[in-house]
Amino acid sequence: MKVDDLIICRCEEVTEGEIKEAIRLGLTTMSEVKWLTRAGMGLCQGKTCGRLVMSILVRETNQPPDEVKPPTFRPPTRVMALGALANGEKETE
Amino acid sequence: MRIDDHPILGKAERGRSITLTVDGSPVEAFEGEPIAVALMASGHRVFRYTTKQKGPRGVFCALGRCTDCIMIVDGQANVRTCVTPARDGMVIEKQFGRGPREEKG
Amino acid sequence: MKNTDMVVVGGGAAGMAASIEAACAGAEVVLIDENERPGGQLFKQIHKFFGSEVHRAGIRGIHIGRDLLKEAEEAGVQVRLNTVVYGFFPDKCLGLMCNQHTEELQAKMIILATGASENVLAFPGWTLPGVMGAGAAQTLINIHRVLPGRSVLMVGAGNVGLIVSYQLLQAGAEVVAVVEGLPTISGYGVHASKIRRAGVPIFTGHTILRAEGKESVERVVIAAVDKSWQPLAGTEKAFEVDTVCLAVGLSPLAELAWMAGCQFIYIPEIGGWVPVHDENMETSVPGIYVAGDLAGIEEASTAMEEGRLAGLAAAEALGCLSSKDGRARKAEVWERLAALRIGSFGHGRALAMEKILRAKGVG
Repeated sequence: MKVDDLIICRCEEVTEGEIKEAIRLGLTTMSEVKWLTRAGMGLCQGKTCGRLVMSILVRETNQPPDEVKPPTFRPPTRVMALGALANGEKETE
Repeated sequence: MRIDDHPILGKAERGRSITLTVDGSPVEAFEGEPIAVALMASGHRVFRYTTKQKGPRGVFCALGRCTDCIMIVDGQANVRTCVTPARDGMVIEKQFGRGPREEKG
Repeated sequence: MKNTDMVVVGGGAAGMAASIEAACAGAEVVLIDENERPGGQLFKQIHKFFGSEVHRAGIRGIHIGRDLLKEAEEAGVQVRLNTVVYGFFPDKCLGLMCNQHTEELQAKMIILATGASENVLAFPGWTLPGVMGAGAAQTLINIHRVLPGRSVLMVGAGNVGLIVSYQLLQAGAEVVAVVEGLPTISGYGVHASKIRRAGVPIFTGHTILRAEGKESVERVVIAAVDKSWQPLAGTEKAFEVDTVCLAVGLSPLAELAWMAGCQFIYIPEIGGWVPVHDENMETSVPGIYVAGDLAGIEEASTAMEEGRLAGLAAAEALGCLSSKDGRARKAEVWERLAALRIGSFGHGRALAMEKILRAKGVG
């Protein structure tokens, strides 16, 4: 398997190649990479791939690790049915 | 591949015996244990196939975070089987992408 | 909206210890855990703990978990299970979700004790069924009494990798090898000896190249690596296994602390991004405390002490403890924490803690 074919975001099946391509286009933050590639936007919301994407960013952009922060966290911390927020029972994915 | 007896934990205490239907076939389980456990105990390791690459997935984190173990349970998709208790008569199906296997033809 | 004195998020070792201290001091405490039963990692730990009597040495994690739960209930802690804190809102307001119903709960003091999650290692074949976290395997064998597979390759020779390898053997699985990328194992020697005596080889300076199989893992290939973790040609070894466990470190579960606006510091030795806190475990946001693995990856014994510290400090801030009593009780905990952070293993953590305290001082 080519290095670039390695799956990094398991939920959205985003590969290392796609992440590196986003970085080549000039993206330098976790949030930007997430928005363009969808890595971290799947069902697990980046809980599994977060650190992997961070280390690829650090390696490819030569930023020190303490300057690559996770993307902004907004509620909800878990994927929820919209109905739950309205205290309803109906599922509205 | 259940561990019925264990050098430290002793004999396993389980809920009552129940039956699940997994992809149309009956599977024995114990009430209250995670669905994923009943599946692994009966030799099922592939729980779903992904959308893009149609890759097989199974248990990865076993605590409800990674969402790799999701299956269709009683008609509802995206159910995290490693944290959902098994109940008698539950109907479990492999998830293909976001839903059941597409009808061919 | 409901409100209470104190909310503790996370009912593991740190969270339970914090709740008990605060409730015993007279605070109204709500302990929230997303699982069916609290205890966090403790219920997976079937081995005996080290340390002194006050750290319950010689007792297995599972029994410590059971004892703490009883103490919490006796102290009057309100335990809310199957409940997720899905959001952190202004004025220390938490969004709770249980069974698809949501509610808001406001607290004067919040202690975050949400623990840590397993890191992952990506390699060709890592998405195949059969590849899982070492903690996942531990959950399956010790809590659910089911084997993840028959023959296992363990990746990582830190304490988690060594301990889980031993527990897999106890559960009846075969562990064909442990691979560790570093030139030496980073776990305690006593754990490594136990598995070596059982015939499990530990390949240091090696990594997993790939996992292969049609529908699930059937085989793995490992290889020796150079100092830059590049595989060395000609050193490949294949093993027929059906399971690969990844024991490659833990990272704090810090989403709520980020959401709350806490300041963070990056310290790779204790898990990466950790919330800055002072010697009272209080973060840069007044009234928000952290304890346990969230505050830096360590052990159950330090988690319990940090929990006690946060519980005492928050109770003192509420006025449930006089500052004289608070100071005296906290001093006991500080002493015990210092005693836990000695020796070659503890020293690194002690240094990390110093970095954190300095950051809080500046910030």
